[in-house]
Amino acid sequence: MNEFTKEVLRLAGDEVKTCIQCGTCSASCPTAHLMDNSIRKLVKFVLEGMKDEALNSRSIWLCTSCLACTVRCPRGIRPMAVVSALKQIYEAEGMRNRDSIHEEIFNRHIKERGRVSEFFLSAEYMLRNPQSAAQIISFGAELIPRGKIDIEIRPDSIEGRDEVKRIFEELGGA
Amino acid sequence: MRIGVYVCHCGLNIAGVLDPQDLSEFAGTLPDVEVARDIQFTCSDTGQETIKEDIVEHKLDGVVVAACSPRLHEPTFRKVIADAGMNPFLLEMANIREQCSWVHMEEPARAQEKAKDLIRMAVAKAALLNPLVGEVMPVSQDVLVIGGGVAGIQAALDLADSGLRVYLVERKPTIGGYMALLTDVFPTNDCSICVLAPKMTDVYNHPLITLISYAEILNIEGSVGRFTVSGIKKARFVDESLCKGCINDCAAVCPVEVPDEYQFGLGKRKAIYMPIPQSVPLVVCIDPQACVGCGLCAEACPVDAVKYDQEPEEFKFDVGAIIVATGWKPFDPARKEEFGYGRYKDVITGLQMERLLNAAGPTRGEVVRPSTGEIARSIAFIQCVGSRDHTVGNVYCSRVCCMYALKNAQLVKEKDPDADITIHYIDMRAGGEGYEEFYERAQRLGINFVRGRVSEVQEVDGGLVLTYEDTLLGRFRNSRYDLVCLSTGLEANSDADVVGNILGLAKRPDGFFEIAHPKMRPVEAHIDGVFIAGCASGPKEIQVSIAQGGAAAAKALRLLSRGELALDPVTAMVDTDKCIGCKLCVEICPSKAISVERTAMVDEASCKGCGTCAAACPVDAIDMRLFSDEQILAQVRAATATKREYPFIVGFLCNWCSYAGADLAGTSRIQYPPNMRVIRVMCVGRVDPSFVIEALRNGADGVLISGCRLGECHYDKGNYQAYQRVQVLRGVLEAVGVNPKRVKIIWCAASEGEILAKEMRTFVDELKEIGSIGDELKGGSA
Repeated sequence: MNEFTKEVLRLAGDEVKTCIQCGTCSASCPTAHLMDNSIRKLVKFVLEGMKDEALNSRSIWLCTSCLACTVRCPRGIRPMAVVSALKQIYEAEGMRNRDSIHEEIFNRHIKERGRVSEFFLSAEYMLRNPQSAAQIISFGAELIPRGKIDIEIRPDSIEGRDEVKRIFEELGGA
Repeated sequence: MRIGVYVCHCGLNIAGVLDPQDLSEFAGTLPDVEVARDIQFTCSDTGQETIKEDIVEHKLDGVVVAACSPRLHEPTFRKVIADAGMNPFLLEMANIREQCSWVHMEEPARAQEKAKDLIRMAVAKAALLNPLVGEVMPVSQDVLVIGGGVAGIQAALDLADSGLRVYLVERKPTIGGYMALLTDVFPTNDCSICVLAPKMTDVYNHPLITLISYAEILNIEGSVGRFTVSGIKKARFVDESLCKGCINDCAAVCPVEVPDEYQFGLGKRKAIYMPIPQSVPLVVCIDPQACVGCGLCAEACPVDAVKYDQEPEEFKFDVGAIIVATGWKPFDPARKEEFGYGRYKDVITGLQMERLLNAAGPTRGEVVRPSTGEIARSIAFIQCVGSRDHTVGNVYCSRVCCMYALKNAQLVKEKDPDADITIHYIDMRAGGEGYEEFYERAQRLGINFVRGRVSEVQEVDGGLVLTYEDTLLGRFRNSRYDLVCLSTGLEANSDADVVGNILGLAKRPDGFFEIAHPKMRPVEAHIDGVFIAGCASGPKEIQVSIAQGGAAAAKALRLLSRGELALDPVTAMVDTDKCIGCKLCVEICPSKAISVERTAMVDEASCKGCGTCAAACPVDAIDMRLFSDEQILAQVRAATATKREYPFIVGFLCNWCSYAGADLAGTSRIQYPPNMRVIRVMCVGRVDPSFVIEALRNGADGVLISGCRLGECHYDKGNYQAYQRVQVLRGVLEAVGVNPKRVKIIWCAASEGEILAKEMRTFVDELKEIGSIGDELKGGSA
C-alpha cells in the first residue's frame, strides 16, 4: 500500500478497503455520464495506488456532492469522501485546472463573505481562465442588457462572517 | 366382486361443475357395482361412516371413491376401509376434482362425460384389485460408516450415542481425514485439529464403535436392513494392541526417508511412521514399499510391537444401514500447466499452504519459499484452480476455496502485517454464516483483491510473474510475487469408486455420488438403507459435512430404530415359469432389487415398485402389484369405452411429478381441454408399449406419456427408459401405418401445472391436424 492510498484512506475512511467494486456508487451518480472514470473506478485507482490516474480524472470535479453514492453503498463506504480526499490531495500537491480554480474561488468567497456573488465569482474565474472566458464572454455580454446578470459594485456579505470563517478553520477545509 | 362407489360433492368444488347425483346413478349401472352414492363431503366423519356401514351391510370387497386426488386422500380412505375390516389395498380413487371439475370449469358437459369415464376406469381397476399385505422384516440395528473424515466421525458418534452399534471403516492408518491436516479453519480461525481431535478420541473410546482403520471394503451383499459387509484390514506390521504410540523410538532409528503424504510432499517421513501426532488409533505403521527390512525399529521398540510377519486380516459383519462418507480428493494442479505447479518450486497448493501455516507442519508455521527457505513477503493466491473450468472437466464451484484463501491470507497477514498479499479471483463467494463478515475482515486487514483470472505464471529472475487482466480496471498487467498459492478445488474421490460400484451408487456428471433428490433428500442415496454424508456427494465446508454426518445418522436411526421394517407391498413379482433368466431386469432396476440365479428374484425389501422391469421384461414374466398389466389394460379399455371426445387421448402420468403437476393445474385452476383420460403409474418407466398399442387399437387418437424432468426421476432413470421405449414404439407404429406422432412423451415437474396444461392444448391441436385414428390400426397386425 503506497503513501497515496494511505492518505486517501486517512481522509476518506479505512472502510474504503472493503469495496467490492459492485458499481452502486457509479450507477447512483447523477453526473456519471459526464465522467471519464466512474466513481467505482476512482476507488479502484485509490486501492491500487494509481495516483496519477486518480488525480487526473476529470470526474472528481464533476461530483455535485449529492451523496447518492454514500447513501446507497452496501459496504457503508463514503465514495464522495474519496472524491473529496482526491480534491484535497490535488490542491495540496499544487496542481491546478479550471475546475479546481472555480472551486477554490467559490470556497474562498464563502469563507470570506459567507455567500457567493455570481458577478464577482464569474469575473474572477474569467480573469484567471482567459481561455475559457473567451468562449463565453460574448454570451455574457448579451445577458447584461436583459438584466440577467446582477452587476454589483461591492460584493454582498452576510452578518456573522467570523462564524463562517471559524467553521472553515475547525473543519480544516480550504 | 361387490364394489361400492362414492361420488363426492366436495361442497361446490366438484358439484359446482359436475352433477354428482348423475354420476352416482351412472356408477350404479356399471358391472360389479353393488352400491353407489353421492356424498357432500366424503372425507368427513359422516362420509367415512357411510362407507364403513356399506362395507359391512353390503359385504363390499372393493371401494371406489370419486373425489379429490389420491395424492391427497388415498391414505385417508385406505384407513377407512381397513377400519371396516377390508384390506386397505382394495381401494381405487377417481380424481374428479383436481383433474376434472377444477380444470374444465367452462365446459361442464364435457367434464361430466370425462368424470364418467374416470369412474368407469376406477371401477374396472377395482374389480381386479387383490388384497395386499406389507410384510414386516426384522433388521440388523448395526450401521456401517465408510470413511473416518469429519462427516463419518460425526455420523458414527451420533449413532453410537443413540445406542446403535457402529462399524467405522477407514482406509488410512488414522481417522480424521483432511480436516486433521488443516491449520486454523474459517470463519472463526480456530485450530482445526484442536476441535477435531476430541471427536477422534471419542470414536476410539466409544464402547459402541468398532473402529477398523487401514482397511478396505471388498464386498457388500444384501439390502436394506440386512447388508453383509466383508473386507480386509491391511497389515501395519505393528501390533495395534502392543504399540504405545511413543512415535520416536522406532522412527528415530529408521534409516529410510520418503516424502510425507500427510505434509503433501513438503516434508519427509520414515518408513515406520505415525501419520499425524494426533493419530487415532495412536499406532505406528510400516510402509512396506519403503521399508528395507533392516530390523532396527524392531530392536528399538520397547514393547516388541513390530511384527514383520503380520498378515492382513479379513473381517465380516452384518448391518442394517450404510453411511457413505468417503470424502474427496484434491485437484492435481499439474493438470493446469500454465500455473507452473511442479515446474516452479514456489508454486504451491492450498493444502501445502495449510501445512506451512500449521505449527505442527514442516516449517513450524513459517510461510517460506520452498526454493530458498526464506520467508515469503509477497504472496499471490490464484482462485478456481481446477474449479469452474471446462478444460479439466470440472464445471462446478468447489465452494470452499474462496474461504480458505481468505483464511490463509489472513493468517499470513496476522503474522506479517506488511506482507503483500493479493487474491486473484473470478468471483468471491462467501455464502455462509459469518462468511461475508470474514471476507470484509480480510479486506480491512489490507489484503488486495484483483478480479481476473491469471493466464500464466512464469519464473523470472527468481521471482514469479503473474500475467492477468484486471477486469475491473480493464488493464493487462504483470505482477511479481515470492510465492504463488493455487487454490485447488475438490474432486470426487476416485478411491471411493470401489465402494460406489459395490453398492451401485449413481454418480453425477461431476463425478460425485448422486443423492436421491437434489434438494429434498440431501443425505439419501438411491439405494434403500444407504446414506451419503459430506464431500462424497460434492464439495462442502466442514460445518456442512458435520451437519450431513448428523443428518445421515438420524436417517439411519429412523430406519432401524424399531428393529423391523414394514415393507411396501407395491413391488414387482416374477412368474418363474415364464422367466428366461435374460437379466435385462437386473440391468434396468434402479434399486438393484433383482438378482438372477436361474430365474429372476425380486428382493421385496429393496424394490421400490417403479415397474420399469415389468415394462422391460421381453416375456412378460414380471408384473407389478397394484399396477398390474391386467389392471392397467382394464383401465385403458374402460377409458376408451365411449370416446365422447375428439381427439381422444389416453394419458400415462407418473405419480411423483406429472400426476402431481396435473393436480397442481387443478389447485391453480389452470383450464385445459377435457380430451385426456389419465392413468396413474408410479413411474413412466412402467408404461409397457402394449398399453399404448391397446389404447390406440381401442380408438384413442393419441397417447400422452408424461414423466419427471430428465435428471429428476424419482427412480433415477425411469424417464430415460420410457423415452427409449417410446422411440422404438414410434418406429414400429410407423412401420404398420400409424402416424408415430400419436404417441407423445413429455416431461413435467410437480411444480409445472402450466406446462402440463400447455402440452395438453398443443397435443390436442396436433392430433386434430393428424386426424382421427380411424382405420389406421385396423388393417395392421399390431
